Amino acid sequence: MVTPDRHQLGAVAPRVIRLAGGAGLVALAITIVLALVDGDATRFFRSYLVALLFVLTIPLGGLFFTIVQHLTRAGWSVALRRLMEGLAANLQWLWILFIPILVLVISGRADGLFPWLDHAHHDHALEHKAPYLNAGFWIVRAILFFGIWAFLSRFFFRNSVAQDASGDVRYTHAMQRLAPVAMIMYALTQTFAAFDWAMSLSPHWFSTIFGVYFFAGTCCAFFSSLILLVFFLQRQGKLENEVTLEHYQDVGKLLFGFGVAFWGYIGFSQFMLIWYANIPEETTWWIARTQGPWRTFTWLLFIGHFCIPFVVLITKHTKRHRIVIAGIAVYMLVMHALDMYWLVMPLIPDALHHATSLQALGNEIESDPAMVGFTPHLMDVTCLLGLLGLLVAGTAYQLRRCSLIPVRDPRLSESLAFENM
Amino acid sequence: MTTLPIDNTIEDPLHRPPLVLNHDNFTSVTEEICHVNESPKPPMAWYVTLGIAGALAGMLGVLIMYLIVTGVGVWGNQNPVMWGFPIVNFVFWVGIGHAGTLISAILFLFRQRWRTAINRFAEAMTIFAVICAGMFPGIHIGRVWVAYWLFPIPNQMDMWPQFRSPLLWDVFAVGTYFTVSLLFWYVGMIPDLATLRDRASNRIKAIAYGFFSLGWRGSTRHWHRYERAYLLLAALATPLVLSVHSVVSFDFAVAQLPGWHTTIFPPYFVAGAIFGGFAMVMTLAIPARELWGLKNFITMRHLENMNKIILLTGSIVGYAYAMEFFIAWYSAAPYEGFAFINRASGQHWWAYAIMITCNVVAPQLFWSKRLRTNLWVMFVVVMMVNIGMWFERFVIVLSLEQDFLPSSWAYFKPTWVDLGMLAGSFGLFLTLFLLFIRYLPVIAIAEVKAIMPEANPHPHGHGAGHGPDHGVGDTEVDA
Repeated sequence: MVTPDRHQLGAVAPRVIRLAGGAGLVALAITIVLALVDGDATRFFRSYLVALLFVLTIPLGGLFFTIVQHLTRAGWSVALRRLMEGLAANLQWLWILFIPILVLVISGRADGLFPWLDHAHHDHALEHKAPYLNAGFWIVRAILFFGIWAFLSRFFFRNSVAQDASGDVRYTHAMQRLAPVAMIMYALTQTFAAFDWAMSLSPHWFSTIFGVYFFAGTCCAFFSSLILLVFFLQRQGKLENEVTLEHYQDVGKLLFGFGVAFWGYIGFSQFMLIWYANIPEETTWWIARTQGPWRTFTWLLFIGHFCIPFVVLITKHTKRHRIVIAGIAVYMLVMHALDMYWLVMPLIPDALHHATSLQALGNEIESDPAMVGFTPHLMDVTCLLGLLGLLVAGTAYQLRRCSLIPVRDPRLSESLAFENM
Repeated sequence: MTTLPIDNTIEDPLHRPPLVLNHDNFTSVTEEICHVNESPKPPMAWYVTLGIAGALAGMLGVLIMYLIVTGVGVWGNQNPVMWGFPIVNFVFWVGIGHAGTLISAILFLFRQRWRTAINRFAEAMTIFAVICAGMFPGIHIGRVWVAYWLFPIPNQMDMWPQFRSPLLWDVFAVGTYFTVSLLFWYVGMIPDLATLRDRASNRIKAIAYGFFSLGWRGSTRHWHRYERAYLLLAALATPLVLSVHSVVSFDFAVAQLPGWHTTIFPPYFVAGAIFGGFAMVMTLAIPARELWGLKNFITMRHLENMNKIILLTGSIVGYAYAMEFFIAWYSAAPYEGFAFINRASGQHWWAYAIMITCNVVAPQLFWSKRLRTNLWVMFVVVMMVNIGMWFERFVIVLSLEQDFLPSSWAYFKPTWVDLGMLAGSFGLFLTLFLLFIRYLPVIAIAEVKAIMPEANPHPHGHGAGHGPDHGVGDTEVDA
């Protein structure tokens, strides 16, 4: 079947791959230079982990939302589904970016990043957790997570693209059949990935809601990215008739509902319950984030990631204005990057053990912000931009040959005719 | 209405299945739904259940009097289980109460057109369940005659409630929620009340329905205002549902007690409320559609959809149980670990086993389409979920049983008053619900009509995009 030009990336794909990929590599090269000058490997890897989690959350959200479409037999979203699948398809190669961290763990020099790898100091709690938190099992889990994500994203992408050619509804049935199992696999892998790669950075600390908090972040990352992807494609003259303001408004609602309101709700739950009960084992993580320089950062997240977008996105007018919603999407991606930074960077200070009061601890941290991991560096930005460039290039690569909409999906006409009001 | 000629559970991506069966015009829809209210005599089963439910409700009244006259010692509450059945019942009912509006408002925001058959049910259920829920803390305070002290009312003694207590937040949260739910239910019912008014066969009905339909004439302007108000109430109700059940979870989670204090409680309680609520909607809908012949509206597809949601939310609840267990071990906190092992293997292990069997294992039957479209199987499963969700709260509350002071450990035993009040609360709930079925429009007549293909005529018949599930002219949130 011949699809018109505006359904294909065509010449745009190689251009994006060259530009974004090239810019990404340059940014990564700068990062490496900066890291070598800085000379602190652990510091570099913290920065790298922030960037990696940031670029992972975008396709993870895409995979989640693709599965949701099949679970609910959604009609409105079909015109956008290929783009979701294309973003998710990056999970087939993102494991490559995980290799540096894997190598670091295997080489046994990751105890600066993951303190549970440090066996030199006797620590009762960490010994208790060793059956879960040990290098071998951690690596097996990471391989399992990436394997499952690659399989799922490939399955949905492949079947959907195959349907473009034949129009056979069997593909729809196949995807709908796997969707519930896929959702369970997704929920478990994403939760434990969040535990392994973010929560275990402070290995004594624990929170049952942590996986859900990370999930809320993936929603924010993905819906913002989807809006930007559509916006970019329409600027290039693609999908101009197929994706309408109605779709923008709906994705905007989802960004509002899950990326802003749900994120705020989960974040608040995690904070309030720990703050209120005030149990020493749990408050450490929050003390690191509410004393000294991270205090301002935490407030910035609360206001910037929740309060401001809540007010801005509540009206339909912002969601139905292409440029405005694209601007909000960029803003939310920045906020999400700050969120990942805030999740990874802060360190629970050793001074906590001898501090006589919170006030005293706060003063001590103010005089030496590095003790709570507050060491902003240019490479944080360059590393993030580098990996983001690769993700953009990767997305263009995934979508380079297929149609940009599932042209023969049985529910496409519903999506094209869909109206909010 | 014996057998359905159309099987609308068949999955065909090319066509949206019909959601209203055997009707091709609006008049017959009105006739069939209004028949529930207008038939001279309700089915015999209605009298029988109302008799039993009314008797139980009466017993509840007597027991409350006994409690007030004697004191809260008539309950099995002891030290350290200061909260026994009353809080279990409160959370159980308030969970069911939260589900109704959640079902109605969230399915509305997600443009699920099949909601129109069950939303009125679900909303009514909410109101009655919140009434049952609110009663328990109300009579638990000891001096019922000063119950108004729950509210921060300025007084000459300068006495204020403890603002830092989640129990006070509950007063506000549940109060607000009840108010908005009542408005949501009532506003949605106005056009249907007007229908009953217009069809009233005697003066009393005409005056009663006429009074509550607020002069509805069905003009375009009325509809416009109505749709706006409904949308706003749905958008308001949704975050309220989340906030209310989260606040209920705070009752436990802000404490330092192992088994109560865990950060996943707020979303876990919300998921549990949807889970239990859908089960209760099914419990009411399955017999009601049989007795009143509503199978053309509450079709097998509706039941199947609800069963799927029960499977989904049951899985979320299962996820929360698993997280609690995993983190209890991972935390390396001995008390946390003890609390969970004790739940599963301690003196109330059987309650835990019931909870897991009913909430996690039983819904797994719904993976099979044959089982989830079988009325008997689904009825058994939803009954199990009802039981399981009550026991979930029982298990959580009984974390109190073995506190930090082993000398005070004892076996919690409910008294006959505890059991009588639990049964009585079901009686009250069912009495209200049976009266609702008889005297108010049980299915949203106007909304059901809007999802029929006839509501959306297309002279040229172009495109499959105008099927019943998603089409042009959806009512939908724009906020």
